[in-house]
Amino acid sequence: MIGKIFLKLFGTMKEAVSFEDLPRSERIVFSLFVLFLVIFPWIVKSGFARAVIVQFLLYAMYGISWNFIGGYGGQVDLGGAKNVGFGAYAVALMMVWWGTPFWISVFVGIIIAVAESFVLGFPLLRLRGHYFAIGTLCVALVWQELFTFWNWTGGARGILLPIKRPPNLLYMQLDPIGYHYFILFLFLLSLFWLNWFRKSKLGYELRAIKANEDAAASLGINVLWAKVKAYCISAAVAALGGAFYAVYFLYIDPFCVMHLDLSIMIAMTAMLGGAGSIWGPIIGALILIPLDRYLGASLGGKGVLGVDFLIYASIIMLVAAYQPKGVWGIVETLRKRKRKGLYVARS
Amino acid sequence: MGCVYSLLALGLTIIFGIADIVNFAHGEYLMIGMYTGYLVGTYLADPLIGVPCALILGGFLGFLSYVFLVRRLLRGPPIAQLFGTFGLMLFLRYGALALFGPANRALRVGILVGKHIFKAGIFIDLAKLAAAVIAVFLFALIYLFIQKTKTGTALRATADNKEAAHYMGISTDKMNALAWTIGGGTAGVAGALLSQFFYVSPVVGMVFGVITFTTVALGGFGSIPGAFIAGIIVGIIQMLAAQYTYPELKLAFIYVLYFLIVSLRPQGLLGKKVA
Repeated sequence: MIGKIFLKLFGTMKEAVSFEDLPRSERIVFSLFVLFLVIFPWIVKSGFARAVIVQFLLYAMYGISWNFIGGYGGQVDLGGAKNVGFGAYAVALMMVWWGTPFWISVFVGIIIAVAESFVLGFPLLRLRGHYFAIGTLCVALVWQELFTFWNWTGGARGILLPIKRPPNLLYMQLDPIGYHYFILFLFLLSLFWLNWFRKSKLGYELRAIKANEDAAASLGINVLWAKVKAYCISAAVAALGGAFYAVYFLYIDPFCVMHLDLSIMIAMTAMLGGAGSIWGPIIGALILIPLDRYLGASLGGKGVLGVDFLIYASIIMLVAAYQPKGVWGIVETLRKRKRKGLYVARS
Repeated sequence: MGCVYSLLALGLTIIFGIADIVNFAHGEYLMIGMYTGYLVGTYLADPLIGVPCALILGGFLGFLSYVFLVRRLLRGPPIAQLFGTFGLMLFLRYGALALFGPANRALRVGILVGKHIFKAGIFIDLAKLAAAVIAVFLFALIYLFIQKTKTGTALRATADNKEAAHYMGISTDKMNALAWTIGGGTAGVAGALLSQFFYVSPVVGMVFGVITFTTVALGGFGSIPGAFIAGIIVGIIQMLAAQYTYPELKLAFIYVLYFLIVSLRPQGLLGKKVA
């Protein structure tokens, strides 16, 4: 019995880390990219660049969480920030109140986020199209307002986490290199999860739902249950990201971990890169976060307010207008064209 | 307040119903309308003159957005439409930030600004009364236009079935442009009306944008009477909640209300049943 469970677990893990079905070029690029991330802190000494990479990985993780329900399931979730908030607040509050170590509070945060998504998922995921999008928006906004209003959450002032010296693993307060590897680990963990999901029965069910909900139901898929499961996985990954946010910045308030702008940013990351593809969120975050931070740092300080965002917004509009499938869509179109060319040459 | 919400929701529901796209930038048209009201009121004449100016400017802006951006977006999947209009929203918001700076501004002069009448124990703010009257008037005007005129019928036909309308010789492209112009214009007017009793800032569109979304969804996407009723309901709920519970939480009540109503009626109050 235990052996069987072990074998099954082993099989799942093997599926999660295997990218065998993808083209070789993608695997090579991905391996090089991970290698780059591993050696990054040793070749780049700039604190700013390191911080940008950490935030890039964090947003890529948020984007991955969105991809479970939004990308593969086609359910546009505009309330991702609430899960980030649950993760961050669980870690911060439990540490302030009881001095709970990170490794316990992170699971509490994930459980809260999943439980909330499970309970509210049933009425929400019954809604279709724009009604669902606005429903998730409303739920996230109610939490945002409540966390701003309540006193026990620190209200609008937010919470400062007590700083532990020297840096320790119990509370995950590390040096910059430590944070880098920690977020890299979490990022790879969620990426492997998405990779498993992509090939699992649940992943195929959700793609069927995205293509046509009624047809999926008529094929015997329990549509609501499949959507709720994906919604809960999405919540868990986002909460994990939120927990990291709390220990990395050591300060949280409703504006940075619960806010509507974050919800939309999460969806934007995945959509810009290419929703419903495994590399989409990574590409999206790779474009948005460095662009945002460097533009902000180079232009924001010169008294020209908002110009960085104007450039940023123009890029978003251009991609939406000319390549609606996101950046990954460009790669796929190019590949198709190449294949077509070959076909013509052969015939 | 409720009437202004209705007017806002009207614009968005027309855009949604006819052009079949969710416009994230709607709140920003409102913001531009508010700046128009503010600037006209402060530097040129009375803020009431700002209302027609905002109508023209908002309509023009809606038209431009359609021609340059939305026409392209409509060819793509719904997801691209969402983030395309989101980009437009960011663009307008930070454009206003770059032009006007981040400060909150409020109108101080004007015929109706800050004037009250006190009758039979009821306290009425004249600026709000005028806003309500103008909003209802404009709403009725547009409703009649859509129901009674030939162009209005063409608009409704486009909303009903794009392809069929196209075969009947209606230029759906022109109808979409018209819908965006009306949508932008009404949002501009709503903004100019609001500027008489609400502070103006570049980020104000966000707050109202979300309320508008909720209002439209509450009434049912594409339903004009639904938008009116939902607008009034949202205005009343917000005032009651601010009066009898904590004012900080007044918006949360609207969101909870939306959540409850769509849980029971997934197509909104007066929306058509989705197959």
